[in-house]
Formats: sequence, C-alpha cells, structure tokens
Amino acid sequence: MLSKQQLQRLLTLCMHSNADFAEIFEEEGSSEAISMLNNNVEDVNRVLRSGIGVRLYEGTRSVYGYTNVTDEKSLETMINDLRASLGKKEEGKEVVLTRETIENRHPIQIDPMEALLKDKVDLMLRASHTAFNESKEIEKVTVTMSGVKQHVQISNSDGKLVQDTRVRTRMTCAAYASDGTTLQSGTASPGASMGLEFYESTTPEEIGKEAVRIALVMTQAKPCPSGKMPVIIDNGFGGVIFHEACGHSLEATAVAKDQSIFCNKIGQQIASTKVTAIDDGTIPNAWGSQNVDDEGNPQQKRVLIKDGILQTYMIDTLNGRRMNMKSTGSSRRQSYKFEPTSRMSNTYIAAGTDTFEDMLSGIEKGLYAKKMGGGSVNPQTGEFNFAVQEGYLIENGKITDPVKGASLIGNGQEILMNIDMVGENLARAQGMCGSSSGSIPTDVGQPRLRVSSITVGGTANE
Amino acid sequence: MNKQAWIERAKELGLEQFEIYQALSSEKEFTWFQGEIDTFVTSKVLGTSLRAIKNGNVATLTLENVEDETMDEALNALAQQTEVITSTETVSLTEAQEVEIIENPHHFKMLTVEQIEQMLKNIESKALAYDSKIVQVAYLGYEQASGRREITNSLGVELSDEDQVQYVACSVVAQDKDSFKDATKIKVIFDHDSFDEDQFVKEVCEEALGKCGAHSIPSRMCPVIFEKDAMTSLLGAFTGLFSGDMIAKGISPLAKDLGKKVFSEQITIFDDPKNTDALSIASFDDEGYPTRRKVVVDHGVFEQPLFDARSAIKMNTKSTGNGFKSGYASSVHVSPMNMWIEPGNKDLDQLMETMQEGVVITDIMGLHAGLHFASTQFSLQASGYLVKEGKKSDPVTLITVAGRFLDLMNDVWEVGSDLEWTYKQIVSPSILFKNCAISGE
Repeated sequence: MLSKQQLQRLLTLCMHSNADFAEIFEEEGSSEAISMLNNNVEDVNRVLRSGIGVRLYEGTRSVYGYTNVTDEKSLETMINDLRASLGKKEEGKEVVLTRETIENRHPIQIDPMEALLKDKVDLMLRASHTAFNESKEIEKVTVTMSGVKQHVQISNSDGKLVQDTRVRTRMTCAAYASDGTTLQSGTASPGASMGLEFYESTTPEEIGKEAVRIALVMTQAKPCPSGKMPVIIDNGFGGVIFHEACGHSLEATAVAKDQSIFCNKIGQQIASTKVTAIDDGTIPNAWGSQNVDDEGNPQQKRVLIKDGILQTYMIDTLNGRRMNMKSTGSSRRQSYKFEPTSRMSNTYIAAGTDTFEDMLSGIEKGLYAKKMGGGSVNPQTGEFNFAVQEGYLIENGKITDPVKGASLIGNGQEILMNIDMVGENLARAQGMCGSSSGSIPTDVGQPRLRVSSITVGGTANE
Repeated sequence: MNKQAWIERAKELGLEQFEIYQALSSEKEFTWFQGEIDTFVTSKVLGTSLRAIKNGNVATLTLENVEDETMDEALNALAQQTEVITSTETVSLTEAQEVEIIENPHHFKMLTVEQIEQMLKNIESKALAYDSKIVQVAYLGYEQASGRREITNSLGVELSDEDQVQYVACSVVAQDKDSFKDATKIKVIFDHDSFDEDQFVKEVCEEALGKCGAHSIPSRMCPVIFEKDAMTSLLGAFTGLFSGDMIAKGISPLAKDLGKKVFSEQITIFDDPKNTDALSIASFDDEGYPTRRKVVVDHGVFEQPLFDARSAIKMNTKSTGNGFKSGYASSVHVSPMNMWIEPGNKDLDQLMETMQEGVVITDIMGLHAGLHFASTQFSLQASGYLVKEGKKSDPVTLITVAGRFLDLMNDVWEVGSDLEWTYKQIVSPSILFKNCAISGE
C-alpha cells in the first residue's frame, strides 16, 4: 500500500487538471480455490492480487486507469494520461488526507487464507463423504472451497483515507445421481464474510446432504408444464426474483441515465402493498456485507420499497451527481480492474404474515419453486428470467410431483404487483452477481411468497 | 523477472517441472453519452501464473506482483499446494516440440483519439436521426486492446505471441408505446476507412425497431429456427460435451459415446485454433502445446474429444492443444477455440420457406442459469418472430424455449448457410429444428 505522503502527492497531481474530484483505490490480497472430485483433491489454485485504480471526475464525466505496475513513476505516467484526457492545468488543489478509522462489523476467527490447506481439505472431505454415504444412488460428488481476503485502501481529493479488509469463504457441493438415462445433479453452496468458523454453524455435512437431497428429487422429476400460472417461491435463494425483477433496475447505474423502468418513481407504488424490500450492506458477517463501500463510504441499510412504495435507489457518487442525489454507500467493484458503480449488497424482501396453507389453497394448477437457480434482467425493458433448480407441481391446493427444466420469465413492473402473499420464514442465500463493475458477492433473500401469475417455461405442453 | 533463475531454483526446491505463463494486456476504452465522452479507461496489467509439478501433482499460483526476491516464498507455497493433491494421474507439462506458427492475417490500424471521438459522435447523432422511435443511445463505446503471452517451462518450451483488436459497441433504445425495446451490436474495426458507420447504425436501429410491437404467444410445440447468433449461444453453452476433462470425470453426457452417432447426420463440428477466418488464432495453447484442426463431430458421429495435457493423461491419449486459460489467473482447462458447425446450403429466408409455420429465435437469455449441463436440459428466456406461410411475421417476446440439447440436435430439419465469424470463437449457422417447446402467455 502507498503511504499517506505518496497518496497526497499523487492525488494533488491528479487535481492539477480539469478534474474536480480524484480517487485512488488500492487493493492487495489473495484468493484460493480447492477442487475435489469423488474424495480426491484435483486442483489448488491460488492468486496473489495487487493493483491500483485511479479515477478522476469532471462533472459527470469520469476517466479511470488501472494497473498492477505500481511503482510511483508508472503511476505518474498513468495519472498524466488521465489528466491529459480531461485537460492538464499548472495549478490545482493541494490534497491533505485524514485517516479515518472504521469499526469492523465483520470480525473473523480463522483466516481462510492463512489456515492450513489440510484443514480445508478435511472440511471438504466431510461434505464429500456425507454425500456418498447419504445414498447409494449418488455416482459422483464434486466439492469446491473458495476463499478470499481483500485488503483495500481508498483515498480521495476530499481528504478521505480509509482501509477495509474483506474476508469470505464458501463451499459448493454438487452431487450427481442417474435417473436411468442421464445424470441429474443437486447443488448447495453457502458462504459468508467469515473465516473457517463458518463451517461450525453451517456444517459440511449439511451442505453434502442438501446437494444429495436435490439430486435425488431431480431423478424423480418429470417435465415441467408451460404457460401462465400461480407460483409459490420458497425462501432463501428465491429472493433472486427480487434481485433480477427489481433490484438491478433500482441501481443508479441504470436509473441515472434514464435506462430503468423505475426512473422518476420515488414515492409511487411500484409493488404490491405486501412488499417491503431492503438492501442492507451492514449485516454482520453476511456474504454481501462490507464496512465501507468501494468509494470508502460507510455501507448502509437501505429501505428500497416500503409497503409497495418506492423509497430510494441504490446510488454511487458519480451517478449521484447525475441524479442530484447523495451516495447511499452502494458503490462496489470486483477489483481494481473495474471502475465502481452502484450495486446491491444483501437484498431481501421483508417477512410478512401469510401461511403456506393459505398460499396453496385455491391453486388448481401451479408451481412450487422450492429452490431457485440464477437469472438475468434487462433493466431497460424490465424483462427478466430465472431458473428453477427444484420445483413441484401444485394440483388442487396440494404439492404433488417434482418437475425439471423450468424457468420463470416476466416483466419486473408486472411481477412486483402480482406478489399477493408474503410468508414469515425470511432467509438469505448467497450468489455472485455480474454487472458492469464485475462479479461481486451478494445475498438474495425473502420469505416464501406467492406470485398470482407468471410465465413458466417448461417442455410439457398440453 | 529472471525466468531462468526461477526455473533453476524450482528444481533445487524439488519441483520436478515448472512453468511460467505471463500475459501482458493494455486497453483503452472510450464511452460516449448524450453528446460527449462519458468515460475513458486506460489500463496496463501484467499477470504471471506459475505451475509446478511435484510427485506427479500439479498446482497453480498466480502473482500480480512478481519480484525475484520473493522467489523462494512463491515456490515453497506451490510445493505445499502440490502436497494436498490426491488425484491419481501423473501429470506432466508440455515437452519442447516443433510448433508451426501461423501468422494472423487480420491487421489493425488503430484509430486516433480524434477519429474515435468523431466516430462516436457520428454514430449517436445518426442513430437518433434514424427513426423518431429511437429515443436513446444507451451505450456507445470504443475499445482497443493488445495482449502478449509468453510460456516458458523447464522442459524447454519457450513461446510467445501477440494479439490485438479494436471494436465499437452500440445499444439503442426504441420507444414502443409505453415500453422500450433495445438492441446491441458489436463491430470489429480493422481501420478507419473500412468502417461503414451508416451500415452499422442501420443494423442496430433496425434490430431495435423490429422488436417494437412484440408480444408473447400461447405455449406450443412447433418447428423452430435458432437464428445464427442464438444457435451460437446455445452451442457455446454445451461445448463442454466434447471436453476430455468432462468425459474423463464422467460428467459429460457423451462420456461413453465416442465413435457413436450422437447428433443428426446433418451436423458436423470442427475445432481449429489456426482457422484464419476467425479473428483470433493460436498456433499453440496456453500450455505451449501445438494446436491443430479436428473434426469433433462428423455427420452426427462423435469422433474427437478435446484435450488439454491433464485430461489427455487421464484418457491415455495426447493433448489436442485445447488447454486454455480464461484469464492469466485461472487454471488451464479444456476449451474449444474457433469451433464451428459446418454450414448447409439454404440461407435464413430459405429456411423460413422450408418451415412455413413456426418461430425464429433471435435472442436467448439466462444461459448461465437456465440449463443443466449433465442432462442437457434447458429452459431459456427468448425472443424472435413468428413465421407465417414461409415469411417473417410478428415479433415475439417474453417466451421461453425449452428442451434437451441432445434431443434437439437429433431433431434437425436443415442446417443454414449463414455462418459468420465476426469476433467470436464459437460459431454456428442458423438451424431449423423439427419441433421444440415454446412457452408463453
């Protein structure tokens, strides 16, 4: 990391231009992925990261440079390129930095990057052995453990100098069983901003069992029906519905440039009155949490929608300038190789009061999506999709056969209004979210909820 | 980095084989929004990836900051990584051998900053003037990138090559009553004079305008044409079927089907990293192994899996030169490079004429989530248009297309002739299938 004096000198150099703001993002850290197939360790891949990104604003224009050649002379050359693109000046602001200390809300006990490889392999073996022991029908098991330790230092021409360390671990177990003709699989992949102590509360055995449970259900699954129907989406990763159908369209990345279906709708009803939605980057040790965002601003709890009414967007500093609104501490990036922009953190729909029985009653033909896969959205059109990993038919108010090969599609505006029941069992689950500032960890979450009508894409046509 | 010193020290520390892979990339990107340069990004990144083999076990360590003084620390860390590997095959790095270097015929004359600004300004103004329904140029960007890779190993491999590209990308938004439709085009620019701005603007605007009035349709089973870009995306999502690694692990559904008919006899698939029709070519893979042309599927028969060094050892054969990294920090894995489905004789209009009634899929979305590799089951958000009496009819959106890839590829009615390489490394012409499940309203 550069010293305070070095940073002051470089930021002052940045400001000898038409820039009205400059920021230096430094990153050092490491990541690791260990892969296992059928109880054998196949691969250990470690990456030691180190690099710097420099950003200058002039009004709503930005210039950004990044490199891992971080000697001062190379950095000066890059900064001079950036200054030239905005227009160099002989004079400018003299930057004086004040170091901020932050409270670490996400303490860890066992550093996943410092722990012995053998200890991590032992945890993976526990998941793998459990999966094989769970059922004789399991033919293959893969387990991956990934770990990250990212130390960042962020300084800017407003005098901010702040550091943060983000540590995460995640285990993914996939179990494969044959349905007689092809392999079906089930996957479980929990993680947290924690060290290896995470596996004391979420045990490798639970992870292995969950992967097997889904794989076995899928061997019994029949083709999913098609068409519009009511769908009950269960808790946890079911929250991907809000993430895709609405979350991305509430990021300033889309809103600032008038590229979202939810532009200019603060104070208006955009969802059913049953829906209160929150993006909270402060939850202790949660997968998508940070102490400060990637512009060095404190992470916040943001109530996005309250009882169906849009309250705020997720905003970063640059897009905030375009919107005449303040940052909500939502600026994130994968690494120094990405200019940051507004992104989600831990996003969820708050718990309601409806029961499962009430949701099922009255559904003649519908789908119960117990586990969701990932999805995607086009914020401009609001059209989204997401995959159902584990689904069941609902027939005459009862859950019946498991089905495979289903996806749900729709339009964000429409789907939020169609959420007619929200249950009590709020839970969150972990995902990686890809967008213009790279792939970042985010939690999705919700209690069980019912959508009165959504298009289900299956293969069984009647 | 004193590579020879690293190789010698690796040997002294008991690492039987050692490889240094370096990638240097430089990029410049300009984006334009509402009459001015919006963002400018410049970068220079050098990544160094080390692979070592000890007791037949391989491990990878990537460094973004390489200093000779930290040599022992890095090499000892690699040795520790190899010690936890328990897979049974004995892995070896590539031995030095003759590599026939093919020169890339594509040459770029990079645009000046003034030319870039003028071009972006022109594209935005021409797009907004193209039709009153075009209400915004949502994204307009230009990027130039150059890269160099070097592979050096303790068995005598010492190879390097360079690559470069420049392109423009544009997304336009068309207002369709109360909703919006968008379209995106990417065009590689070899030099300033050969780039046709008007044609580029026309293509992207026409695509967006063509989506106006799109609606969903009732669910049905019907003949479907996957237009070339959609078919390319679908094929790209399933190239793991041919991966020697997935076959060795028993996860590829084609694991036991080598030499058997797996697709319609109308399907022939090639892979050739040296194919100069493609934009990027490679005479050697990221392990330094020579690349070559392969017939992967010959008239429906699965003839040749793709291998990197490690999967080849597992399957008791030789690498096909398909060991590639998805970035300097990734492990080597089996990957196609310049793979294509052999085109047929009919263009898209003639395929529609053959089909008479059905749906043409132009876009598929959610590929990272909506398919299950091991069973080849897929259900994907799609858009396109209806075909009535053999002609293009209403645009269609918010539908899904679903099926099992292996079944679909056995249900081919006719393969189109419209293979186009552009900037892609996997390409397919449009294909007409006899029957496919469409879900809608």
